[in-house]
Amino acid sequence: MAPAPEPESLKPDPLKVVIVGGGTAGWMAASALVKLLPAQDYAVTLIESDEIGTVGVGEATLPHIKVFNDTLGIDEAQFMRETQAAFKIGIEFVGWDRPGERYVHPFGTFGEPWAGVDFQHHWARAHAAGRASELHDYSFAIAACRNNAFEFPDKDPKSIRATYAYAYHFDAALYAQFLRRWAIPRGVTRIEGKVVDVARDAATGHVASLTLASGAEIEGDLFVDCSGFRSLLVGGTMDVGWQDWSHWLPCDRALAVPNIRTEPLLPYTRLTAQEAGWTWRIGLQHRTGNGYVFSSRFTDEERARDVLLAALDAPPLGEPRLLRFQAGRRAAAWAGNCVAVGLASGFLEPLESTSIFLIQAAVMDLIGLMPTRPSGIDPRLAAEYNRLFEVHYDRTRDFLVLHYTANRRHGQPLWDHVRNMELPESLAHKIALFRASAAAPDYRYGLFSRDSWLAVLVGQGILPAAWNPLAETVPLDDLAARLADLKYRIDVNAADMTAHGDFIRSYCPAPALEPAA
Amino acid sequence: MSARVQSLVLLGRDAPLWLAASVLQAALKPAGVAVTAIELPSLLHVSDVYATLPGIEALHTRLRLDEAGLLRATAGAFSLGQNIRDMLGGHGQFLNAYGAYGTPIEGNDFFPYWVKARALGLDVALEQFSPTAAAARQGRVMIPDEASEVYGRADYGYHLPAIAYAAGLKTVAARLGVAMRTANHIAIERGDGGDIAALVADGERVAGELFVDVTGSDAALIGKTLGIDQHSWRAHFPADRVFAARAQPFTPIPTYAELRAWPPGWAALYPTQAATHVIHAFSSALTEPEAALAQLGAATGLALGDAVLRPSDPGRRDQAWAHNCVAIGSAACALDPIHNLDLHAVQLGLITLLTYFPTGQDAAPSRDEYNRLMRSSFERLRDYQAVLYMLAPYPGAFWDGGRAAPPPPELAHIVATFRARGEVPPMEDDSIPTDNWRALLIGLGIAPESYPPRIDAAAADTVKTQFRAMLGFVKDTVQRQPTHAQALGLAHG
Repeated sequence: MAPAPEPESLKPDPLKVVIVGGGTAGWMAASALVKLLPAQDYAVTLIESDEIGTVGVGEATLPHIKVFNDTLGIDEAQFMRETQAAFKIGIEFVGWDRPGERYVHPFGTFGEPWAGVDFQHHWARAHAAGRASELHDYSFAIAACRNNAFEFPDKDPKSIRATYAYAYHFDAALYAQFLRRWAIPRGVTRIEGKVVDVARDAATGHVASLTLASGAEIEGDLFVDCSGFRSLLVGGTMDVGWQDWSHWLPCDRALAVPNIRTEPLLPYTRLTAQEAGWTWRIGLQHRTGNGYVFSSRFTDEERARDVLLAALDAPPLGEPRLLRFQAGRRAAAWAGNCVAVGLASGFLEPLESTSIFLIQAAVMDLIGLMPTRPSGIDPRLAAEYNRLFEVHYDRTRDFLVLHYTANRRHGQPLWDHVRNMELPESLAHKIALFRASAAAPDYRYGLFSRDSWLAVLVGQGILPAAWNPLAETVPLDDLAARLADLKYRIDVNAADMTAHGDFIRSYCPAPALEPAA
Repeated sequence: MSARVQSLVLLGRDAPLWLAASVLQAALKPAGVAVTAIELPSLLHVSDVYATLPGIEALHTRLRLDEAGLLRATAGAFSLGQNIRDMLGGHGQFLNAYGAYGTPIEGNDFFPYWVKARALGLDVALEQFSPTAAAARQGRVMIPDEASEVYGRADYGYHLPAIAYAAGLKTVAARLGVAMRTANHIAIERGDGGDIAALVADGERVAGELFVDVTGSDAALIGKTLGIDQHSWRAHFPADRVFAARAQPFTPIPTYAELRAWPPGWAALYPTQAATHVIHAFSSALTEPEAALAQLGAATGLALGDAVLRPSDPGRRDQAWAHNCVAIGSAACALDPIHNLDLHAVQLGLITLLTYFPTGQDAAPSRDEYNRLMRSSFERLRDYQAVLYMLAPYPGAFWDGGRAAPPPPELAHIVATFRARGEVPPMEDDSIPTDNWRALLIGLGIAPESYPPRIDAAAADTVKTQFRAMLGFVKDTVQRQPTHAQALGLAHG
């Protein structure tokens, strides 16, 4: 760049943002910051160490990720090719209510409101009268899952084929690399190195600089802690406390192993309840990701390994890899001039693919509340950031706990424990409300939507005993006819869709990779 | 309570009673619920007026209450917002309008661009970017069309003389088939577990499974019968007395309300076709009523008559729904008179009740949810009202008291975030549009110390061009709008 004319030299130095850690969180933060913040005002540096592996959380995502990628201006087909991605329009839960039962949490709606009353009230009424089939029959996205089909949602919002959104299965390590390749030419300074020391300002307690193993000293105004479970700056240096949620979410280990891709390529994640936790199955273009999330209180690693390997639908590619964690979050994500993003701020098991969403929400909130010159770090902005952080984590937690507590897997110690444990009051209330009245949680901010709650409440076998009397303004015969018409439109349209595997082959075929050993 | 609601009994008076009875009847009659309204003697005075927010139109539509007929029958007026004015002139005035301020630039909200431009010296008030505010300033009614919808929301409420509006709603209730009776004396019959079994209205027993208390601050059922306490908000609201009075109508009739602040308190002027209704809120500890009324006449320059004095004691019942009784409106939450939000609170209560209407099974979860939501909704209204007292820059002991009061913690957070970043934190259950929070906070003198830095990505020239285009659009759009007289003339149709 040409040297700036005089007025430019009067400008304050750019605010130095230093991201510590180069996993999914680090590169998502770096990419969004460099895209959305003016380059003359913010200098974004990312420090990552080749020595430190990344956890590579969440190969499965929520539809919000598309908004994130679109914001960056990423070409979808290219991104999918380079991350071995496939489409995802739901999550199938197998055996969660009780062995042998299954349901899909779709990325779409159930039915439509009639007479100003939410769909589930009508459904509950018709179902009780024997005039409706299962709730999950009234979701277009579920019908598409059952057909292993995928197409882009219809642009006409009135079409039944517009009633869903989609996300991806991708290789999180490849996604981080993709974003790294994207972000560096756009201005992110990448420094290879390992942080060995943290220097703090004596007056403010803020982090002043990081010392790397090479001896290099990296100064910063704001530090984004993407160091994963270590939580180097927020948990470490700033000593922010941890809220342990393992009494609600007792799983604390995962074994992960890929296997060879099988056919057909499923457009959904499959999560199967096991004796001491659950296994995941995530189909990518080049392989299938598998893992077993379990509680060390209720099984041991050797047994867990056997369970995982028995659950595979093809031979494993290598030995299962063990991860340890604890459910919970930091008391605050922003302390002083350090902001934790991703695993450094908290951990929720990938039961609803929320890890990458929580990163995305944290990054976008940070960009909105980003310190500016001349005031710099402002505790008022941190307070709002932390309020939003709590909303995201606490609401997501309640939704995850629902999957466990509402089960009829009697006689399995983990499942007996979670069925009988004391629930967060906010969740106990939501369940009681739905059971008594068919009213489902419906809030404006944070995950999850009303339709998601419905999918899991009903999927876990919680049926409403009654419904809003306003639903009865529709005569039962009319209602039955509307439901039949809805189901017909769903089935006919879903039958007409392209197979997911064919769609991928024509839209974004990825290069064949040597499966990692 | 576990019985399926077959009979719903409302006890109350005036517009809240008839609005509630009509809305509940329209929704529930097809579901087989019988609605009975027991009317207590009116407490309305000829000077009373309701100011409605735009959302009331949705209820009127449900009741098939047409706008032209309503404005004709009540001699009401259109209202595009509220002009807030310092009578001593030290702080200018601003219009808090029921419409969008500016249109997005490069997909981002307009507002931070304005905050930035103002910090750089732009001398164009926020309201000039609002077609609704600009129409109000010119005495016109902003009628949304396709182009204005693209620009942003444009909406309006009404000023409705209270007696005529209540009478109109009573007619609607009768048309819808609400069973109606009047009573001077009510006895309450309690049943199992303390539930209300029946109301005895002048000796006649009216039984029901669910009772709705629309008795206003009387809280005859929720308070006096069921003993649910009011949690006082006194600390945040310096006014404890309210005069209502009226004067001759203005010619032409303005299309907005005006809030005038001066040392003893504030006065609000609500123009209608019939009269200019005036509300005056003050503190009895600082001003004698006679003096207040005399000052009101002087401050408004109006020949006031028909004055009536009432106390104001803001606060929220600990539960809006207790046993088998749901309190709606002031019976559940007595709001400060500022911004005239009483009918809006009635509407929130009704819509929430219909969403969580008891099913005939276990009503406790629905009741808990209703109470949770209404508490949160009322507290956000409280914050929106209290912020004026918290931040008002006006001189005098009345305003000093407001500024000195500790704000509710949520409001303190909202103001701190706005001061720091120019953003209103997104709060669950807040029924006030963000544009109105912004207009109010800016109007009360907050100059945000920063704005979201991502808007700096837009080139200065682009922003300037867009600003000019917006001002041009506002000017052109407003010129096409009907005057108030024309709009009301059309209403006379």
